[in-house]
Amino acid sequence: MTTPADLVVAPAGPGLAARARRSRLGIVAVALLAAIVALMLLGSRGGDVVPLSTENSRSTGTRAVAQILRDHGVDVRQVDRLAQARIADPAATTVVIATPYLLGARQLESLAEYPGDVVLLGASDESLAALGVPATDELIAIPRTVEAGCSDPDALAAGTVRVADEGLAATGDGVELCFLHGGTAGFGRAEVGGRTVTVIASSTLVTNDQLDELGHAALALRALGRQPEVLWYVADGFDSSLLTWGADGSRPTGETPGEFEPVPDFLPPGTGTALYALALTVLVAAVWKARRFGALVAEPLPVVVRASEATRGRARLYRKARATGRAAASLRAAAAMRMGRRIGVPRSEARETLVAAIARASGRPAQDVDRLLYGPPPADDAALLTLMSELDALESEVHRP
Amino acid sequence: MHLTGWTVALTALGAIPAAVTQSREVAFWWVAGVLALALLDTWMAPPTSSVGVRRDVPGSVRLTQSTRSSLLVANVGRRRVRGAVRDAWQPSAGADETRHRFSLARGETVTFRTQLTPTRRGDRHAGAVTIRTDGPLRLAGRQRSLDAPARLRVLPEFASRRHLPSRLRRLREIDGRTAVQLKGAGSEFDSLRDYVIGDDVRAIDWRGTARRGEVVVRTYRPERDRRVVVVLDCARLSAARVGDAPRLDASIEASLLLAALASRAGDRVQATAFDRSEQARAASSGPAFMTELADALAPVEASLLEPDWPAMVRLVGSRVSQRSLVVLLTTVETSALDSGLIEAVGALQRHHQVLVGSVEDPELGSMLAARGDTDAAYGAGAAARALLEREAVATRLRQLGAEVVLALPDDLAPAVCDRYLALKAAGRL
Repeated sequence: MTTPADLVVAPAGPGLAARARRSRLGIVAVALLAAIVALMLLGSRGGDVVPLSTENSRSTGTRAVAQILRDHGVDVRQVDRLAQARIADPAATTVVIATPYLLGARQLESLAEYPGDVVLLGASDESLAALGVPATDELIAIPRTVEAGCSDPDALAAGTVRVADEGLAATGDGVELCFLHGGTAGFGRAEVGGRTVTVIASSTLVTNDQLDELGHAALALRALGRQPEVLWYVADGFDSSLLTWGADGSRPTGETPGEFEPVPDFLPPGTGTALYALALTVLVAAVWKARRFGALVAEPLPVVVRASEATRGRARLYRKARATGRAAASLRAAAAMRMGRRIGVPRSEARETLVAAIARASGRPAQDVDRLLYGPPPADDAALLTLMSELDALESEVHRP
Repeated sequence: MHLTGWTVALTALGAIPAAVTQSREVAFWWVAGVLALALLDTWMAPPTSSVGVRRDVPGSVRLTQSTRSSLLVANVGRRRVRGAVRDAWQPSAGADETRHRFSLARGETVTFRTQLTPTRRGDRHAGAVTIRTDGPLRLAGRQRSLDAPARLRVLPEFASRRHLPSRLRRLREIDGRTAVQLKGAGSEFDSLRDYVIGDDVRAIDWRGTARRGEVVVRTYRPERDRRVVVVLDCARLSAARVGDAPRLDASIEASLLLAALASRAGDRVQATAFDRSEQARAASSGPAFMTELADALAPVEASLLEPDWPAMVRLVGSRVSQRSLVVLLTTVETSALDSGLIEAVGALQRHHQVLVGSVEDPELGSMLAARGDTDAAYGAGAAARALLEREAVATRLRQLGAEVVLALPDDLAPAVCDRYLALKAAGRL
């Protein structure tokens, strides 16, 4: 079959190589952009920025102390959730709780039940009370370097430390306070129920930034490294699970409420990944549907203003101004015009002629007709409505003579 | 490039290996693999330049009627081409099925028909023709839009043509050519015939009676070969909608019916659409006049301009030198006082007979008749005021000697024609 004439054919586009040659600059720009993005992604490896976390290498982190502890053969393990602790041997494990003021009441209870040693980095009244340390948490406005001033061997070994931010004030016997700054101490230790509870209230002294100053390293390493294992937990307020320990790796009593399972147990194990694959499918489907089959064709739309718009606007103005007089005058004039036309009285005729003619045609007294057509304007809406119905009645009575 | 539904289906299948292995990486690489396959498929798809198209559109169609536009698709490449084509039209062109699939061997052609049922008068334009060619895997393909300009002229509906037979009958009665024994009315002398009892004695031709010895009467017939100039006002007031259509549409109906009637009556009709300058023009020139007129008026749209009436008077003066009937299809309203309509009608009336036709708004009537609450009362008051103002303008026009026809949109065309017949019968053309 021969090709029909005057076909519209798309011009054969330039080949891939020709197109690449033409838009060389664009390709270079895109490649550069991709390289920059890749570099930025690689360079800005997120890392841990949580203060007092053993994986945080910034000045607020505690990676240095954890590494030194590990060098000395202490097994330091950090958990994101308390329930992941699963401490095998509480007698050989120190639980380190950073920012304890973010612990929930139930978590504090589970911590109080824990039989092994506990170290608090920072303090709060609730946590101190729950762990049985007779002290309160106080703020320290002006940091100061102070000497141990107590008989605790760790404190004596450290010599001087810098007390800042937080401190402890004793409320009873049973707690040994060191590094007193006015009435508040930077360090406290209590023997409660056969275990040692150590509070490093001025928690900044264990951070990467300050560990190498004064006697900070000595105090931190001695306080944290008493047992061969350290469980490190930074309270964050989002985790509500409870501390777990025991021979079988789970806490002997109690449950772990508030735990969120992304895929509940009653669904098959692959459900999560299948849903992930289907979510990607949704993206592909969006691309499939987003590609139009050619551009939309524009429609030049006509004006859609109604011809009665101006009259309706005037009606609203009348209503707003309560212009009963004006509305009534228009209605009367229109009614008079219609009736005059019906009985053959031209508009140019005088008022008396029209009234007399209408009175004759309707059989009503002339005074009545005159009052209806030329009477005083109605005072209010009700009078206007009455006048309208009366005019309608009169108009219906007027017949061609 | 475009994707097909198969790509999505294949992507969805990836959920099975993902669930079995419980690895998100498997799911991710599955999707990446499917997309790579789609890219490969696009690359292997026949180029869009291997498909040629041609549009064949009928010249014009009357509004409310349907027509068919055909789209010829030819494979001018070297391979078989599978794909789809979209014949895009404006929404108001009322195209029913615009997408068609095709599979063409080398050198083969196929013709698709797209049914068009336009919903608006005027020129309806076609959009681009979009071609999709599918790759061998049917996962994806190439896409390209081609400019294939086409235009379908949608003529006015001319719904008022149903009034034409009755008006033609009236015309024949006036003409005296009807079988019914009615005397011809008019002012042009036709012939002399014998007096029969019942004839108007005023029609007796005394000179002829004296010559023949028998009483003879003159018969008249309506004048022929008069000039009728229809001027459509397509300025801002014509844009307002009355009922479902702008005022202009009612004016076009009226001018079509009047042109049909007047050209049958032997008058010469010309029409012009005017706002500030002439927008369309048609003059009586033989049997194709009605088609020409409809074609000329079809694309006229109301503009949002103030009409230039003095220019319209000059235009009419330049078109006709002898006395004519000037039919002015506009809007009688208070604003006509400011725009100079009265002066224009006065100027035209000095040399011609003017007939002003105006579309009334049925909504005004319903507002006037509404009763019940205060809203309705004030509405009725405002409507009455509008009515009185319009009546005042109409009276001014009548005082100038012009004929004024105010009618609802559907009644305007027959009302204007009736007035034309009345003028013709009275010999006032």
